[in-house]
Amino acid sequence: MADLGNISLLLALALGIYSATGSMLGVWQKSPQLVQSALNATYLTPLALGVATASLVGAFVSNDFQVEYVAAHSSLAMDTQYIWVAFYAGNEGSLLFIAFALSMMSALVIFFGSRTIQASLPHTNLVLMIVLMFFVAVMIFLANPFARLDIIPLDGQGINPLLRHPGMFIHPPVLMTGLITFAVPFAIAMGALISGKTGDEWVDAGRTWGIIAWIILGAGNLLGMWWAYTILGWGGYWGWDPVENSSFMPWIVMTAFIHSIMVQKRRGMFRMWNPALIIIAFGFAQFGMFINRGGPVPSVHSFGQSTLGWIFLLFMGLTMVSSFCVFFMRYSSLKSTRNLESALSREAAFLVNNLLFLTIAFVTLWGVIYPLISDIFQGEIITVGAPFYNQVNGPLFLLLIFLMGVAPFIPWQHASWLNLYRALMMPVVSAIAVAVILVLAGVTKPWAVIAFGLCALVVAGILREWVRGALSRHKRGESYPVAFARLIAGNRPRYGGYVAHLAIVLLALGIAGSSFYEVQRDIVLSPGESADVGDYTIKYVGANALERADRTEARAEVQVFREDNFLGSYYPQRDFYPAFNMASTKAAIRSTPIEDLYIIPGEFLEDGRAIFRVHINPLVMWIWIAGPLLFLGVIVALWPQKEVATAYARRPSGGTAASSGIVTK
Amino acid sequence: MYCDAKKVMDTVTIERDNPTWKVLLTLTLIAVIAVLFIIVAGCASSSKTLSQDDLEAMAQGIDKGLMCPVCPSETIDQSQVQIANQMQMIVREKLAEGESQDEIFQFFVDRYGAGILAEPPKSGFNLLIWIIPPMVLLLGSGVLTMIVLAMRRGHHGQVEEELPTASADMEPYLSAVDQEIRRLTQESTRDTTKDGPNIQSFEGKVE
Repeated sequence: MADLGNISLLLALALGIYSATGSMLGVWQKSPQLVQSALNATYLTPLALGVATASLVGAFVSNDFQVEYVAAHSSLAMDTQYIWVAFYAGNEGSLLFIAFALSMMSALVIFFGSRTIQASLPHTNLVLMIVLMFFVAVMIFLANPFARLDIIPLDGQGINPLLRHPGMFIHPPVLMTGLITFAVPFAIAMGALISGKTGDEWVDAGRTWGIIAWIILGAGNLLGMWWAYTILGWGGYWGWDPVENSSFMPWIVMTAFIHSIMVQKRRGMFRMWNPALIIIAFGFAQFGMFINRGGPVPSVHSFGQSTLGWIFLLFMGLTMVSSFCVFFMRYSSLKSTRNLESALSREAAFLVNNLLFLTIAFVTLWGVIYPLISDIFQGEIITVGAPFYNQVNGPLFLLLIFLMGVAPFIPWQHASWLNLYRALMMPVVSAIAVAVILVLAGVTKPWAVIAFGLCALVVAGILREWVRGALSRHKRGESYPVAFARLIAGNRPRYGGYVAHLAIVLLALGIAGSSFYEVQRDIVLSPGESADVGDYTIKYVGANALERADRTEARAEVQVFREDNFLGSYYPQRDFYPAFNMASTKAAIRSTPIEDLYIIPGEFLEDGRAIFRVHINPLVMWIWIAGPLLFLGVIVALWPQKEVATAYARRPSGGTAASSGIVTK
Repeated sequence: MYCDAKKVMDTVTIERDNPTWKVLLTLTLIAVIAVLFIIVAGCASSSKTLSQDDLEAMAQGIDKGLMCPVCPSETIDQSQVQIANQMQMIVREKLAEGESQDEIFQFFVDRYGAGILAEPPKSGFNLLIWIIPPMVLLLGSGVLTMIVLAMRRGHHGQVEEELPTASADMEPYLSAVDQEIRRLTQESTRDTTKDGPNIQSFEGKVE
């Protein structure tokens, strides 16, 4: 098995080298056959890496402990289903997974790009293959998943207990796929730059793949939050940990990109800015992989510690330097054909959006590297924890939500104050009304009121637009559901964007609710005793222990009451793994749209008492609902449609914008 | 001359019986009142005496600000190891003895160094981490403003591109506006050159 794996890795390297040099020489010699042959080699890379993947899985299944990686991450007692998780529990397997994912993405790009970005496809292929070769070469020379031990151990060391959770089956692979997919829009943009096709040819493909990478990484992050919430047992979902930050930063920069690329798609502007932005986004994605593979900062995610990270830092440095060299070589051809007409226009609003997103990314990066700076200059490692990010990024996020409520209703080219007044009167009044009602209802923390008010602004603006659009179609004789469906279908990037904005509002609601109004209590109970937390009464019934091959499962039974109504029995659980001297908890969560009751078993004492930590987390459920809604928005936005006739046909309240345009003439 | 400018404004404001600025002013007033209301309400609710629950809430706030010394990247509030629990006990004891949050933080900093704090101190060298982000935002805003200005200047040199025609039912209305403007422009050019700046400033507004 291991031999087969090694051979297929070498084969993948050979294919990558052939494909890269072939596409380069083919362009050089103007030989379409050679280029085609190189692209065909790209189609074969997923095959070679698929065989490598299969052989590692085979080694896990057959408990081949001579393979060092299997011995380190598996054991005879491990359930078969955890092979999937054990596969990427360490660096070597993760690298194989990432390379396999990248090879599949590359094949898809070549397949779908053959029509849209034909002229720059060989160059895009070159960039993709260089990235792929890097991963394969690191595996072959530095972190081989098929490396052998001299002696064959009788049993493996087993899998890290924290990884034994349903979330672990999807969170890491989705996250890794998301990070590596950033290479695709990067390669498309670089392909355009290298080939000199610096116009708008690459924009549609770049946007599509940018959004795909964005949603995969976003899903990976959300799944990670869910995993943290349900298993790490501290009642929260986001800790601004360096590794979380390292997958958050590329996501934020990509968010900026998928907004600003719309300006190039619609208006042919920002031709210089968009390639620069995607280079930065890929740089952050590489930085993320560097931190993940054993970077210099402490983290709760330190599963695969090694010095491998520095190779990634080197690769990131080389990528950034060479990309920006290419960028500056093409600098003069990247001038926009059009200029900004007014500071009060959708284009300008997109610029502000980009500024805010990039500032958030920078603040986060600054927080991640500051401990190193502090260590160098004052010899003391300072912790940069959640309070820093909440204080600095929090207000920036509120500004972004405000922009999200206002910017979609500013017309392209130039708006007048009257346009704005007409579009925003109703949303602003609703937002203020919501804020006042909340204060009267007892929500008095100023930041919370502002956050909820801004959410109301966004929702009211979007609903107003939907209702108006559907009504005007209804007047032309369509029934309401048909009118609404055709409205959405009529301009999918726009209305898909609105759905995504609504999802972000849900996310913001959940985050604001749970961070401003969280309640936490530690209670110690003997069996039969009960305690009050908030409105709830929690009664500890008892616990039982179950001995398993590798762990002891202690499961407590608690009954929850509110105002003497029995709400149900819940079973928080704590598993202890003697081999690792480590415990993992499964919180019992009673989730409602208003709030979550969250019970973690802290410790079971000798005298039969148990310590529970109880949280009441308002609105958290909406964070998880935001995920599928975000996905829906992306599907709507990406669903193919015939191009909208002109860029200006669909601006909101177009009549007045046009009239002000005529006035300037 | 001043009157002239006002007349121009009046005629061009597209809906005369809907004075935008009045509404904007009202909205601003409402917003200001709402914010004041929120602040007052917030202050009113926070001026209660300290109960046991408030002490616990304060203790939890302090827990969130202290890192667990043995586990990477977790506060003592999150961590479930023994030393974190002991530190939580110390926090509660000291609060009960009447020590302030800063005194408690200082107690732990003396023992473990400044790295025990989750939030970098806002003093000395560490001011750097707090100052850089707003400076970057300011710098970014400055660059952005310059870009916008430069791009707009570039625009004035360009030929105005073809604008989309508005919907058919707006057409008669718009041509009326056009005529009105042509008439006014002619009128003002017939006046002395002093009126030049007024026309310009009005054009800037409409854009």
